[in-house]
Amino acid sequence: MQRTTRLQGKKRQKTPWSAYLYVFPMVVLMGVFIYYPIFVNFYYTLYNFSAFSLSHTFVGLGNIRLLLSDPVIATALRNNIFYCLISIGFQVLLALGLAFILEEPLYRRFSTVFRTTYFIPVLISMTIVAMLFMQILSPRGLLNSFLSLFGGKVRTGWLGRSSSAIFCAIFMSQWHSMGYTTMLFIVDIQKIPTELLEAAEIDGANRIQRFLKIVVPLVREMFFVVMVTTVSGAFLVFNDVYVLTRGGPGNSSTTLAVYMYDMAFTQDRMGYASTIAILMFVICVILALTQRRLLRTGKG
Amino acid sequence: MKRIIALLLAFMMVLSLTTTITASAEEKIKLTFFHRWPNEPKGPYMDEVIRKFEEAYPNIDIVVIDPVLNDSYKEKIRVLIGSSDIPDVFMSWSGSFGANLVKSGRVLPLDDMIAANPEWSGKIIDSQWGPFQYDGKQYGIPWSMDGKVFYYNKTVFVELGLQEPDTWDEFITVLKTLQENGYPHPISAGFQAEWAVSHYLGAMVQRRVDPDVVTKDYALEGDFTDQGYVDTLNSFLELKEYMNEDPNSVDHSFARNLFIDGESVLCLMQLAEIKRVEDGADFEYSFFDMPALPGGLGDPDELEGAPEGMMISAECEHPEAAAEFVRFFISEENGALMTKMTGELSCVEGAVNPDSVSTPIQLDAVELIKKASGTTLWQDNAVDATVASAFMKGGQLLYTGDKTAEQVMEDVRAALELAKQK
Repeated sequence: MQRTTRLQGKKRQKTPWSAYLYVFPMVVLMGVFIYYPIFVNFYYTLYNFSAFSLSHTFVGLGNIRLLLSDPVIATALRNNIFYCLISIGFQVLLALGLAFILEEPLYRRFSTVFRTTYFIPVLISMTIVAMLFMQILSPRGLLNSFLSLFGGKVRTGWLGRSSSAIFCAIFMSQWHSMGYTTMLFIVDIQKIPTELLEAAEIDGANRIQRFLKIVVPLVREMFFVVMVTTVSGAFLVFNDVYVLTRGGPGNSSTTLAVYMYDMAFTQDRMGYASTIAILMFVICVILALTQRRLLRTGKG
Repeated sequence: MKRIIALLLAFMMVLSLTTTITASAEEKIKLTFFHRWPNEPKGPYMDEVIRKFEEAYPNIDIVVIDPVLNDSYKEKIRVLIGSSDIPDVFMSWSGSFGANLVKSGRVLPLDDMIAANPEWSGKIIDSQWGPFQYDGKQYGIPWSMDGKVFYYNKTVFVELGLQEPDTWDEFITVLKTLQENGYPHPISAGFQAEWAVSHYLGAMVQRRVDPDVVTKDYALEGDFTDQGYVDTLNSFLELKEYMNEDPNSVDHSFARNLFIDGESVLCLMQLAEIKRVEDGADFEYSFFDMPALPGGLGDPDELEGAPEGMMISAECEHPEAAAEFVRFFISEENGALMTKMTGELSCVEGAVNPDSVSTPIQLDAVELIKKASGTTLWQDNAVDATVASAFMKGGQLLYTGDKTAEQVMEDVRAALELAKQK
């Protein structure tokens, strides 16, 4: 409607005052729960304070200096980046490939069965999934029993080693979430008119060419949406890691969100926790802006 | 016209979101209660006592805030204390945990209530009051008492002619003997949850390091440079080869199950866990406390463990009713019921008696607690959370091989600096 109004010259309908009234409650809610905390964080980071008392000690840029020299932050960032890269690999790229395969006429008969199988983990609560994986990854659990079949008694404690703990959490996440993005891509691929693909097949394009030249360009928008949510999710991840390893052993599998939670609620260092929150905010803003730029060039 | 009606409807909908539902006028007193036992065996006990209380006091209504387990409780109670939703009556650990809650200024000092009810308060075992005293005032009433001891499979010990070890060297000899006689993992432990490390280190530090140094260091007035700390950590590491594979990847309940199943012969557990062992084990068992460490300067007769207790909010609208509730719970009758239903040891003298215990071992446990020369607090309650965290995580990394004892102490010293700035 607005487009037609614009084309009709400079005549634009004045926004009726009632529109502001409808929007007002949501603006208030967002202001209080989203924008206010973000701004207040910048104030909080200048202080050290506890959740239990009202006294604030001014530390100026002390918390920020601490953040830049804290080795745990480096570990957390590294873990978040691993999360991001592996999630992109599974939840974006592999999911897209999987969706394409499932939508191929050859496999369409089994498609529903597979779709459901891949999607069921998404429906299970993360806590249950974590408990399940704690059993599987236990030194006497399923994974080691399986590996023992190939000779030798395997008793590795996957969750108890600094080198593997975070990867356990990451792969648990992929198992849990991949079905969701696969579903999204399936729905998007279904929107592609079959005539296009058939025509390509007749013209002699093989599967890979059909995938790269037809499917990929046409799911571009969904691709970017899934990319944005996966990447930002990877930098904000808390649940999966916290329930499975709590960031341990030591701090080897911690992520920014888990570390922030630890600082705030276990160690009672609210000022420093606010600083970590700001770091996460900055990272998300950078990612969002980068995303917007790519989207624009993508759409163009 | 239509627009005005639509607007009115929208406005009313928004209004309904903000209106609170007022309950009908009630003369009943409402008390909110928060605890950490949603499960068996203590969940049903809590419900039973609450029911009895409401029957005896029909004008008081107990509203139970959804109980959550141990680690979630630690977090939720902190959030509730910081908010306007502080429960009227709630459970607390002693030591620094209680100190943090008291620091908020929202916990009621109970000295008056105690003085006004001498018959009741006199019945509570003396040594249990201390851990809940802050700034010279009593802020919590001890409810269940506990101790951390090495449970051992007595049947196996007798079979191999072993005795309860008094010193660390005797302890290692016992472990070696067990290993050579068909028990490749004689001791079980699970360090996935950090606190399990602090239960080892807390007792071992107390045994090894000069108590004056420990007191100063834990109060953040020392510097954690004593060689004793490094020795303690190395002794802790010594146990690794006698433990189940990778203790960092399993939790405490897994370790307990290994003991109950008879696969391990020793496990460091709390006396409060007697009932669980009793229900599952098909062998005779007993316990001994932490052996003396080589070069140890601490009292070898102290027992690690602290009471859990109840606290009342300073903002409670009906403190007398809340006090009634607390006195009802922490009484000989309901204390005996607790011991009977849950196996936990009530702090009330006489509550743990031959009638209320499910096994005479619990009487031994109470004797052990009363006999102890003092109480060593859980390390994560005895010292600031940041320092405790450095010890606990350090212990985990000691076991993964990522850090040496000296490196862990460096981290502790760094944590000390951060803690001082809090």
